[in-house]
Order: sequence, then C-alpha cells, then structure tokens
Amino acid sequence: MPTKSFAQALVDALAYSLAGDAAVTIIGRGLTGHGPEADAERALYDKYADRILDPPTSEGVMASVGTGAAMAGLRPFVHFGTAAFAFEAVNQIVNEAGNAHYMSGGQVTAPVIYHLFHGIRGGGGPQHSHSPQAMYANAAGLQILLPASPADMQGLLRTAFKSNNPTLLFSHTKLLGVTGAVPEGDFAIPLGVAEVKRKGKDITIVATSLMVHEALRAAATLSAENIEAEVVDPRTAVPLDRAGICESVRRTGRLVVVDEANLTCSIASEIAASVAEQAFASLKAPILRVARPDAPVAFSPPLEKAVTPSADKIVAAVRKVMRG
Amino acid sequence: MRIPTKDEAAALLERMLTMRRFEELVIHMAGKHKDIGRNHLYIGHEAVGAAAMMALETGDLAYTTHRNHGHLIGRGVDPGKALAEIMGRAGGLNGGRGGTWHIADKAKGFHSTSAMVGGSIGLAIGGGLACKQQKRSRVSVALFGDGVLDEGISYEALNFASLYQLPVLFLCENNAKTGQRPSSMLAANHLTDVPQALRIAGLVVDGADAEAVHGAVHDALERIRRDGVPLFIEAKLERWPGSHQLKPEFTTGITDVAMAWQPERITGAYAVWIRKHDPILRYAASLIERGQLTRDSVLAIDARVTARMQEAQAFAESSPYPDAADAASGVFA
Repeated sequence: MPTKSFAQALVDALAYSLAGDAAVTIIGRGLTGHGPEADAERALYDKYADRILDPPTSEGVMASVGTGAAMAGLRPFVHFGTAAFAFEAVNQIVNEAGNAHYMSGGQVTAPVIYHLFHGIRGGGGPQHSHSPQAMYANAAGLQILLPASPADMQGLLRTAFKSNNPTLLFSHTKLLGVTGAVPEGDFAIPLGVAEVKRKGKDITIVATSLMVHEALRAAATLSAENIEAEVVDPRTAVPLDRAGICESVRRTGRLVVVDEANLTCSIASEIAASVAEQAFASLKAPILRVARPDAPVAFSPPLEKAVTPSADKIVAAVRKVMRG
Repeated sequence: MRIPTKDEAAALLERMLTMRRFEELVIHMAGKHKDIGRNHLYIGHEAVGAAAMMALETGDLAYTTHRNHGHLIGRGVDPGKALAEIMGRAGGLNGGRGGTWHIADKAKGFHSTSAMVGGSIGLAIGGGLACKQQKRSRVSVALFGDGVLDEGISYEALNFASLYQLPVLFLCENNAKTGQRPSSMLAANHLTDVPQALRIAGLVVDGADAEAVHGAVHDALERIRRDGVPLFIEAKLERWPGSHQLKPEFTTGITDVAMAWQPERITGAYAVWIRKHDPILRYAASLIERGQLTRDSVLAIDARVTARMQEAQAFAESSPYPDAADAASGVFA
C-alpha cells in the first residue's frame, strides 16, 4: 500500500468527492493548516476554483451557508480552521444543521461537512487548544468523525460525502503531517465501526484521534512488562460503536479510555458509561479515564505538558488497572 | 412598477384573506385546545407576505421566522396540514416535530423555519449559493423582521451575499413599535442604511399597501434573476395591537370585511389601527373604489376562504397525535 500524510489523505478524499459530484462545494481556505502541510491543498484550488470559496472571517454565516446550501442540494465542506472558531457558529451547527432532518419531519436533509482542527497543538493557549467533540456529541443529529490515521481520514470522509447527515470532521492539528499506509484509489470506511489498532489480551485501551498514537506507544512500553494491551479506535464518536468496544472489553476484562478533551462529559466518559452499562459483568477492575483536567490549557510549555494526556500517563493508568 | 391585473388583484386579496382567516382559526384553536403552543401571528402583515409569495416562481426558495404562518399559507401550503403541525398532530407537515416555530414544506420551497432570531437569514444565503452554483435562475428569499438586524449574523449574511453576488432577496418586515418595547434597536438612521453600506441596494415600501409591495417585489425579483445581485426591501408596518411577547391577544376581533365599504362599523379601542393600517380592509376598499371588485365578489372570496378554513380545522382536529414510540426516531436520515 502507498504511504501518504494525513493532510494528503484529506486532500485526496476532497479531490475524489469534487470529481465525483458536481454538488460538492468547499467553503474555506487553509484546509491543511498553515504548517508544513499547507501546500497540500493547492492542487484542489488549481482544478476546482469555481467550487471553492474563500470566505470572509464569518463563522456564523459560513456554517449557515453550509446548512442552507446542503438543504438546497449542494454538498458543502465548510472549513473552520481551529475548532474554537466554530464556537461563533454553534447555533448554526447545533440548532439548524443538527435539528434539520428531525425538525422537518424528515422532509429535508442537511448533508454539510464541517472541518475543525482540534487539540493541543503546542503553544495554542486556552483559546486554541480545544477538543470540543463531546459538546457536539451532546447535541443530537451530528455525525462526528475522529480519524487517527491517513487511511481513516480518507475513508471516513468519503463516506461522509455520501451520507445525508450533517457531519463534524475533527482533525488533530498534530496529525496533519503523520504518514501511514492508505489503500490505492478511492475507498470508503463505514461510520460507527471501531478498528482494533493493536491486538492484546490483557486490557483494552480505547482512544480517539491523536490519542490513538499515544495509546499505541503506551502499548509498546507495556508489552515489555508482559502486559498486552488491545488498542481500540472507535474512529467516529457519533455513531459510536459501543458493541465493538464492549466486545473487546469482554475479552480483556479491563478498560482504560483516553481522550484529549476535558475529563467531564468527554467522549471517554460516554465510552466508560456505556461499558459500565453493557459489559459490567466482564470487568475485573474499575475503568479509568485518561483525559485533560477540567482546566483551560495554559500557554507555558511545562503547564501545557502537565495537562496533556500522553503515553506515560496511559501506562500509569494501565498499571493501576492491572493491579485491580 | 408592475400593477396587478384585475385577476391578479382578486387573487392577491384572496391570499391576504386566507392568511387572516388562518390566523383567526389559530386563535380560535388556541382557546379550544390547551396544548397548542405559543404563536406569533401574521395579522397586519398580509400585504407583504401575499404579494411576495405571489411573485415567487416554482423552485424559488423562501426562509422564514417564528412569524411564519402567513408566508407558508400565502405560498399555498395546505392550511389543514399547517394547522395540524401547530397542534402537534401526526398529520402536520413536520409530523408534529416542529410545531408553529418550525413549519417546513419542502415542496413549496420552505426548507426550514428557524425560530432563532437571525437563524434563517444565513440559511437563505446558503439557498442563494445553491441557486447560483446550480446555474438555475432561482431566487432565495430571506423573510425576517427588523429585530434580526440586531443580530451579528445579519451583517455576515449581507456581506456574504454581496461579496459573492448571490441571488437573494432580503425582505424585512419592519413592524416597529406600538407603545411597547421596540422590536429593534439600531444606531443607524434607517434600516436600509445597513445593506447599502455593504453595497446592496435597498428600498422602503409601505407594507400595508399590497400593490406597492407587489410591484417592489416583482421588480426586485426580475432584477435579481437578470443580474444575479442581492437586493433589500424594507416593508414598513404598524404593529397589530394584538401582538404581544407571550401570547397574542385577539384585540381586533374577527375581521369584518364589510368594514371596507362601511367604515362606520369600525369602533372600539383599536379603531385607528383597523381604519388606517389593516392591509386587507385597505386593499378591499381600494379595489372596490377602483371598480376592480364588487362588494359581492369580496364577500364571495371571503365565503370561499372561510369554507377552506372549516376544512382545515376538521382535518387538523381529526388528525391523531404522533406515536410516542417514535419520539426519538428520525434524528438521522
């Protein structure tokens, strides 16, 4: 399989979507960030200038243009950049896009995709380090994609473009340059299907987005201690593959959930609650969550590092769960 | 400015009267059925909605607000299904999932009614973008009250429409204040100063003058279709005295169309509004005076409309409530 970056996988999924459907329209620039991957988007603009808008800094109307145009037959991909910027558009995303299908009694669909860069990027400080995916999961009607690999980015995004529901695509800023094997050509990955990223028999670690990579690093360290961790990546928070997660927990009997968001009401919280409800009898020890403390992310590097979930913190949590 | 033909004038009056009789039915039903929600009635706005909806073509899109009943009924949405929705019944347009605030009828170009102040103006820009990208000469109409210009998204929406030259008609129904708190508080001298600052031409029209609105909207739509530019119309209205924050009060009573030719029948505390600002009585009087309609033909129109409302009531009241087992279904397509 060829190897490509996460950013290139995003661009390739957009290119296939633009080529395959004249209704696909992109609203936003800087799709692949402003770092080393910034130029990856250029090929799209050269070929599809008439279907790519470079909008004013108006997140509210960008979001509602996406929803309104989707209701009227387009398939917009709206790029917000940093996830916090979309706080300006929460009413449009939650109250218009998320409600549209239900509220109209199924008359209308709003197949818009919103793209947000989430996570602790290094120096982002309190306003540019958010991982707000759980806030949107708490509002009904929004599909939430959390790809951790280039293949997942490309495959999940292709599915989102064929779906008739509004979708939030969260890309961790630190994933943009990550490379990985990606199948040749066009392919799709269904939503709501977790992937076992590493097999293991002793404990299940469920992680999303960048945290999948931290979990895999933790699993390598633990392997040297004869603890074989299974790393499960749900890949989408909505729909959430509760059955797939519980299946792994039933085999291992132990669970650590990792999330870069604030601990309270995070995706990790939802996963822990679901396992407690559905697979409690299989648990040999209490579930632990590794997430950020409920505090803003400070600018100062040692403060930022102190709150960032990492392989070391996951290893410590796993050791604690293994002790029972 | 385009003047309606005799037939168009009769049709325009009939639409206005249909809107009025529908709202009177809503008030009647709200008294009869305690579970009916809060309603923002369209009484007093009929000239704007009827003229604008009549000027639209099939395929044009319209986005409305919490004061949506008139727009929907004015565009020919089934009043029985609209009333059933307001009553939360299974036979409602949205199957009871929206209620008065969110009535949608996709087949009639109403994809969504947003009850957030400023919720629908942005959706209308999205509709305009779709019209432009799909290269059909369709128009997207943003229907909203003056209070929407208090919201920041209005400025984003106007700017976006102007930058991309989208085929959008901004139709603002300014129902100002009548002794209460004003419905908008703008530092600008005139509402049309706002779009004009963003290079969107704006004009002001008397919102109680059906033919003035008809002409203004018709000309605007023609220009939008031809030139692909956004335009702004402010329709100035005197607020209906029954319009209150919590629940409408039926201050002016059931409309007596004979007041159009027998003004001595107008009495009571709200006589000034009825005499000067009721757009239906004003238009009926004008059509009779100009010999375009007779008193009998006005009464015949009213009888036809009233019969339709009786059918609508029978449909809505006989429609069952939705199955509670489905309350959480249909979130995703």
